[in-house]
Amino acid sequence: MIAPHPDHPPKTFRIRVRRQDGPQAKSYWQQFDVTYRPNMNVISALQWIAAHPRTADGKQTSPVVWDCNCLEEVCGACTMLINGRARQACSALIDELMEHGSTITLEPMTKFPVVRDLFPDRSRLFNDLKKVQGWVPIDGMLDLGPGPNEPPDTQEMRYAMSRCMSCGCCLEACPQYTLTNHFLGAAPIGQARLFNAHPTGAQLKEERLVTLTGPGGVSDCGNAQNCVKACPKDVPLTEAIADIGRQATVHSIKNFFSGG
Amino acid sequence: MNGSADTSGAIGGKHHFLLRRLHSLSGILPVGVFVIFHLFTNAQLIRGGEHFQHEVDFIHSMPALLFIEILLWAAIGFHAALGVVYTFAGAQSNTRYYPHWDNWRYLLQRITGIVALVFIFLHIATLRWRWDLAGWYTPFFTLGVTPEGEVVNLAGVSTAVALQHAWWVAALYLVGVLSVIYHWSNGLWTAAITWGVTITDQAQRRWAWLCGGLFAALFVFSAAAFVGALTLTENDQNTHEWRAYRYMSEQRRAGHVIDLHGKRPGDRVSVSALPDLPSTENESDG
Ligand code: SF4
Ligand code: SF4
Ligand code: FES
Repeated sequence: MIAPHPDHPPKTFRIRVRRQDGPQAKSYWQQFDVTYRPNMNVISALQWIAAHPRTADGKQTSPVVWDCNCLEEVCGACTMLINGRARQACSALIDELMEHGSTITLEPMTKFPVVRDLFPDRSRLFNDLKKVQGWVPIDGMLDLGPGPNEPPDTQEMRYAMSRCMSCGCCLEACPQYTLTNHFLGAAPIGQARLFNAHPTGAQLKEERLVTLTGPGGVSDCGNAQNCVKACPKDVPLTEAIADIGRQATVHSIKNFFSGG
Repeated sequence: MNGSADTSGAIGGKHHFLLRRLHSLSGILPVGVFVIFHLFTNAQLIRGGEHFQHEVDFIHSMPALLFIEILLWAAIGFHAALGVVYTFAGAQSNTRYYPHWDNWRYLLQRITGIVALVFIFLHIATLRWRWDLAGWYTPFFTLGVTPEGEVVNLAGVSTAVALQHAWWVAALYLVGVLSVIYHWSNGLWTAAITWGVTITDQAQRRWAWLCGGLFAALFVFSAAAFVGALTLTENDQNTHEWRAYRYMSEQRRAGHVIDLHGKRPGDRVSVSALPDLPSTENESDG
């Protein structure tokens, strides 16, 4: 990654932010001129704005609100639209962004309600993960003993699925996932695949498939395959969707002939 | 395409999944198989009216044709109705920031679906139901009769007249048929994901080659039909047919339906009786 102007670093660069004062408020734009330092990322630019909450035309304003946690692209909390595309602010480097223009645009994701400014409320995603029971059931009175062995190819597939950090990029990019509909979206479908393939997690497989063949389930996917391209963790989401599609086919045929 | 209706997750309630899968199935099997068949027969047009006539007669001689037709109508109606709902309730295209080929493919699938629906409707309204749409009147006759009373084959000429009516009709056919074959071959590709037939990226890519090949083949068939229909003009060999077509159309426009039921090309019918025939619909000449 080559800095854009190694010999003449810019003194400042401009950030345009779509702001919103509360969940019901209307959004509006503000611009900030941020003092350049080498190796900045979008989070450190936002920190600079928090320390100097003055717009480019000199008006004093409130600091821009955002969410973050790990600062190393593993928690997903800082996901926002950067120049239109959903990605993590902590791994979005200013030098790299400036290769595409000297103004950087920040907006909150559009598929989640906004709490304030760049801070979305992703609870729908977390609820949907509960709906597909994205876990291995081990609660109970008895010691279940050591977990069963997993064949290496299952391990390999499950490892890829397990990289999901629930950031929401795949949902933001999905044309079938909207602010108001009920589609589960790619991430929960991927987690269902992850836990259906676990020997103990498979105990809940049929229950997961009931959810996944219900309204908003896997059949709402329109195969635009944006999710897999938007995922910063390279989770093989389209393979997960096809695999869950196969499980759903088998599940519903079985149900037709032997279900209650 | 920007509707954010609150219904998309709930269409069909507890039958949601079943409806989606039937939507997929109805598009591929009855409609798709029919389209392949139809485009293949049409391709015979490039070999001349006689070969095409043979194919058309073959279709008309199929047993249980009415049953097949009803089945097709049911399948197309079901597929189209659900398709329109799925397209307009809750899909948000976003090719601006996600300009990937697959995303365009997704958008195109929805656009071609709507175009195909409009096209199929116009196609059937003008050729099968013989509607007169503001002067765009191109009924399809399998058999016709000259003013002198000679019975002749008219399938090829009817199709040629339909496509040569105006440049925009030819354009409509080109766009319409391209939409149909794109919609079907892409639908076949995504159906394999939907039903869980192709899972890995590699499998999806292999299947894409096959569906792409099908698209190309169907394109060649329809191009042949298109060229055949546009180049079938009046010449020394077929003036009988063209005259018969004009005569049939005039009679039809005047409200006279000529009953050629049971007649074969080469037969003669009494001319004096023709213009006064009562205006009754009959199925045998369409
Ligand atoms: S493949 Fe399905 S889940 Fe992924 S972006 Fe497309 S419609 Fe959404
Ligand atoms: S699958 Fe990828 S894009 Fe989707 S939530 Fe998980 S990490 Fe984010
Ligand atoms: S802060 Fe955790 S991913 Fe950016």
